[in-house]
Amino acid sequence: MDVETNNDFKCTMALGFLENVYDPEIGLNVVSLGLIYKIMFNEEKKQIDCTMTLTTQFCPMGESITSNVKNTVQENFKDYTVELILTFEPAWSYDFISEEGKEFLKR
Amino acid sequence: MSSIENNSDSVKTTSYKVVLPFYIYAALAFLTASIFVFLHSTDFNGHYFQPHLLAITHTMALGWATMIILGSCHQLVPVLIEGKLHSEGLAKATFIFAAIGIPLLVYAFYFFELNIVAIIGGSLIVFSILLFFINLSMSISKSKKENVHAAFIFTSSLWLLITVSLGLLLIYNFTHLILSKSSLQFLSLHAHIGIIGWFSLLVIGVSSRLIPMFLISKYNNSKLLWVIFVLINSALIIYILFYFSFLHSILTVASIALFLIAIFLFVKHIYASYIQRIRKKVDEQMQLSLLSILMLFFPIIISIILIAISLYFKTGSNKVVLLYGFMIFFGWLTAIILGMTFKTLPFIVWNKVYHNKASQGKTINPKDLFSSKIYKMMAFSYIISFLFFCLGLFLPLHLFLKVGAVILILTALLYNLNVFKILLHKTEK
Repeated sequence: MDVETNNDFKCTMALGFLENVYDPEIGLNVVSLGLIYKIMFNEEKKQIDCTMTLTTQFCPMGESITSNVKNTVQENFKDYTVELILTFEPAWSYDFISEEGKEFLKR
Repeated sequence: MSSIENNSDSVKTTSYKVVLPFYIYAALAFLTASIFVFLHSTDFNGHYFQPHLLAITHTMALGWATMIILGSCHQLVPVLIEGKLHSEGLAKATFIFAAIGIPLLVYAFYFFELNIVAIIGGSLIVFSILLFFINLSMSISKSKKENVHAAFIFTSSLWLLITVSLGLLLIYNFTHLILSKSSLQFLSLHAHIGIIGWFSLLVIGVSSRLIPMFLISKYNNSKLLWVIFVLINSALIIYILFYFSFLHSILTVASIALFLIAIFLFVKHIYASYIQRIRKKVDEQMQLSLLSILMLFFPIIISIILIAISLYFKTGSNKVVLLYGFMIFFGWLTAIILGMTFKTLPFIVWNKVYHNKASQGKTINPKDLFSSKIYKMMAFSYIISFLFFCLGLFLPLHLFLKVGAVILILTALLYNLNVFKILLHKTEK
């Protein structure tokens, strides 16, 4: 699933960092799982709006995953303030998993 | 400064402080029950209505199965109903009242002193389940979405409340005859409302959501689950309505038939989920959980044999009744709990220990919080003990019962070892 952004370079960097944040149950990172919907950079406010979802609402690991996403982006973009926006529109589906992710799960 | 905006409530899960005491209690109850089985294995050659067997049954049904199900329900209700748990305070009170009530009741059964201790124990359990039911009802009423899993969990908890209330009434009826018949005549009714209404409805409702989720399966069929829901409830209602009727035996066959169809449909649901799974590797915990579904057919077959015996020989078979009960509590229910404990508990503890730490470097995987080797030994010893005990009951051979009981203790010890290994896990420095 493509991640919406207004800064391709920084977004690619952020996604690279987020590849180290895993859903511990599935064993896949949040990027390959397709949980990250949007990363927007506001250079005036020095703010990053990161919009993401979870595989299911009230996922027992949800709090841990979202805070790890937020912390990871924050630690790697220290000049910015990170706002994490959790959404369930659209609801996550298995089709959002990347091809590499699907290959990993087939192993 | 950073914050999680919008839907932030959707990531708030039930606190581990609420859930973990249930798991600890259940693990110790399983060990206690297995020791009781060893100490009183000779009782399994006698009649099923015996103090020690009643104590073992209630330790297994309430202390082991119900406590761990209640604990995991408090964690999983938000996932199932897609809404927050109404009150963690009520959940804690549920635990406290049940945790005090169960040993009192088991003590009363063990020494067969169905007096004030039994009444207090039973009352505390009823109160505990009432609190759980209120908590669940409030949670569901606040949930925005209606779904079949919420219907399963709500109805099953209502049946549980009926089961424990009837149980309390039967204890009272032992000493103060308030019912038109003796308590003994209600035992099968009490047991089956619990087994079918509480355990089977709950386990099917929860696993129909969790198994596809853990398998990462695309399969979803709410209509089929609604059919299963109606079939199981119809089977139980028919059984209850005609319990004292002269048509009881014949209509019990109809109840079993409806229940059997429901189980076949449930197996179909799980099989479809398995076939359409994205994750190809099925871990050991899931394997044991899947095996438990097949183990559900054993008591159904035994119940058909029991009906056949009662219809043709106009008598019951004590040996078959014991085998039936054993296959439910030590077979099907124990198998699913042994598997599912290690699919849920490591994540609860991981969340507690590593929450907010995963971004600070590589953390341990939740499944590494317990020993896979001990788990495999536990699963193997469990299957061996189950087979020995079933053969010991069927043949009947006391030596087999004793050997089965020893291996069951080993299973419970290995289970406890892994559970406490998870619970005592600390961050690696």
